[in-house]
Amino acid sequence: MMTWWETLRLALDAIVAHRVRSILTTLGITIGIAAVTLSVGMAQGATASISSEIGSLGSNLLTVQAGYFSHDGGQPMDPSTMPTLSMEDAEALSDPTIAPDIAAAAPAIQSGFELAARDTSIGTQAEATTPAWLAVQSRTLAVGEFFTPEQYDDGAAVVVLGSNSASQLFGDPGAAVGQTVTANSTSLLVIGVLEQSGGMMSTDDLAVIPLTTYRDRLSWGEEPIGAIYLQATSADRLTQAHQEAAALLAGRRGAATSEEAGIMIVSQQSLVQAMEQVTNVLTLLLGGIAAISLVVGGIGVMNIMLVSVQERVREIGLRKALGARRRTILAQFLTEAAMLALVGGALGLALSAGVAWLVTTLAEFPVPVSLPTVLLALGVSAAIGLVAGSYPASRASRLAPIDALRRE
Amino acid sequence: MTATTPDLAAGPGASEALPVLQLRGIWKTYSTGTVHVHALRGVDLDVHAGEYVAIMGPSGSGKSTLMNVIGCLDVPTAGQYVLDGEDVAHLSDNALADIRNQRIGFVFQQFNLLPTQSAWRNVELPLWYARVKASERKQRALDALARVGLAERAHHKPGELSGGQQQRVAIARALVTDPALILADEPTGNLDSISTADVLGLLDELHAAGRTIVLITHEAEVAARAQRVVHVFDGGIAGIDEKAATP
Ligand SMILES: Nc1ncnc2c1ncn2[C@@H]1O[C@H](COP(=O)(O)OP(=O)(O)OP(=O)(O)O)[C@@H](O)[C@H]1O
Ligand SMILES: [Mg+2]
Repeated sequence: MMTWWETLRLALDAIVAHRVRSILTTLGITIGIAAVTLSVGMAQGATASISSEIGSLGSNLLTVQAGYFSHDGGQPMDPSTMPTLSMEDAEALSDPTIAPDIAAAAPAIQSGFELAARDTSIGTQAEATTPAWLAVQSRTLAVGEFFTPEQYDDGAAVVVLGSNSASQLFGDPGAAVGQTVTANSTSLLVIGVLEQSGGMMSTDDLAVIPLTTYRDRLSWGEEPIGAIYLQATSADRLTQAHQEAAALLAGRRGAATSEEAGIMIVSQQSLVQAMEQVTNVLTLLLGGIAAISLVVGGIGVMNIMLVSVQERVREIGLRKALGARRRTILAQFLTEAAMLALVGGALGLALSAGVAWLVTTLAEFPVPVSLPTVLLALGVSAAIGLVAGSYPASRASRLAPIDALRRE
Repeated sequence: MTATTPDLAAGPGASEALPVLQLRGIWKTYSTGTVHVHALRGVDLDVHAGEYVAIMGPSGSGKSTLMNVIGCLDVPTAGQYVLDGEDVAHLSDNALADIRNQRIGFVFQQFNLLPTQSAWRNVELPLWYARVKASERKQRALDALARVGLAERAHHKPGELSGGQQQRVAIARALVTDPALILADEPTGNLDSISTADVLGLLDELHAAGRTIVLITHEAEVAARAQRVVHVFDGGIAGIDEKAATP
């Protein structure tokens, strides 16, 4: 038996002796490993950016909505029996004696608005709500003020714009305050512009007005409340706040559960979990497809090892004639196959690191290639080499010395 | 082993005159489908320690087959082969590999050098399998090359050497483990007369140093160097020429 170092040197010699063939063989593994690490990295990058996105929306925010969402397969409903939310629901939810873990509740009606300034007009999302909205949504103002309880009670004709809407209408968000915009021929005074919320799920195309103003001047008929935003007293009271809201709303409707009453309460965390599930499936799917290419690469190594054994039958015969034991021959060919695959894996990692760097810098989309991924990729490529090499290697080691020597 | 077969693998106490190689009724049959080729048909042969034996015979008579059996490269279909007091049939695959490695040096008609390796790397090959340390391996390989007169060609690859030089590298490889038995299958078959003289001179030296040599050849003048010439014909031994006491 030779030492491991000598076995390695021998394998390296054989690989270098057939340079071109070795490179072509490792190409399969290289591409496979690069595909796996890149797709896993991309999926992980997507997961990370989505979670941080949702996390930035506020971790103690709950959203209550009404409507039948699941079990009955979306059959059309009689509008008179459709579950709805009301101002009284919002008032009850903000009562600390009934729901001690809910800090504040902000009812809101969402609708599309056509907003016109002096020379432009834009379509934007309007939120008609109460002064509590700002705190509940964890938003702050870039310039100006949010509407006060007094302005709310008076149904004042004021509006707070999201930063995108403000810059679209007035060029510069700072210039918006004090200007007038028109919605459905109602003039509204811009009293503030919200700080950018940032992120992909942008909520910067927005116009926030008092709910009273909306009901008095902008809506036709009695529109029901579309959503109630709830702020838990703290992030770790979120579950309790969720339960209290569910129990309260179900109780008010004489139903056993909030689901039965047609009420859905969504937390940011459940959104995060749902998104993570989606991206996990994505990771598996992408990784799985890439893994197939890795298997194809492994078959390539096996094929070349078989050819290599065929080509070197005389060499094997000679080595056996000179006293090589079966295990020594086996070790030699296994090492060669593993090394071939490892070199391919290392090249694949280098390739994926390069592509990841390019994507990160050019597309500003993070593609993390983590150490566990690297180690796993190298381990997998070595394993592929061993599996792919074991059949040819054991065939080589079993040859009778004279049969091998005599072959041409 | 049946009772009628004499036990050749004599135990301790047997005299030192016991032959190193004892072949009894060796048959080798190659079967391909329904065709059976009897390459050896019951060969009996004894070779004593330190003997120089030449095996002669026409092409296809079974010389190489016989040498492969003697060298433990092949197993006979029938018969008994006792090497150094041990019945080869009872030895494991690994034990046979060790015998080939330590007790036998092969010189093939086709040289059988690794084309990608330099001369000294080729020569050190058997030492790898003998678990010799790297530094000692290189020294012994260079010494062996010096003995065949190729010290200055140690770093050349086989392709950069003449046929005669390649065969001398092969002889260096055969003697590097210091084996008791040298088996040479037509070592001069591919060489010109000067190279032939070189190679035969080397074999003479090895014989003079006490090694047992079994040499296969077509040529009478090559066989003339041996103490004994075994004539093989159609898988059997047709006759043995015993030379008078040459040293
Ligand atoms: N693997 C094999 N399968 C079938 N027949 C074989 C095989 N090896 C050898 N033979 C046959 O056995 C016989 C003896 O072959 P061997 O190689 O021993 O002859 P040889 O005396 O060495 O001849 P040469 O002088 O040409 O080398 C030949 O008839 C040959 O065809
Ligand atoms: Mg022959």
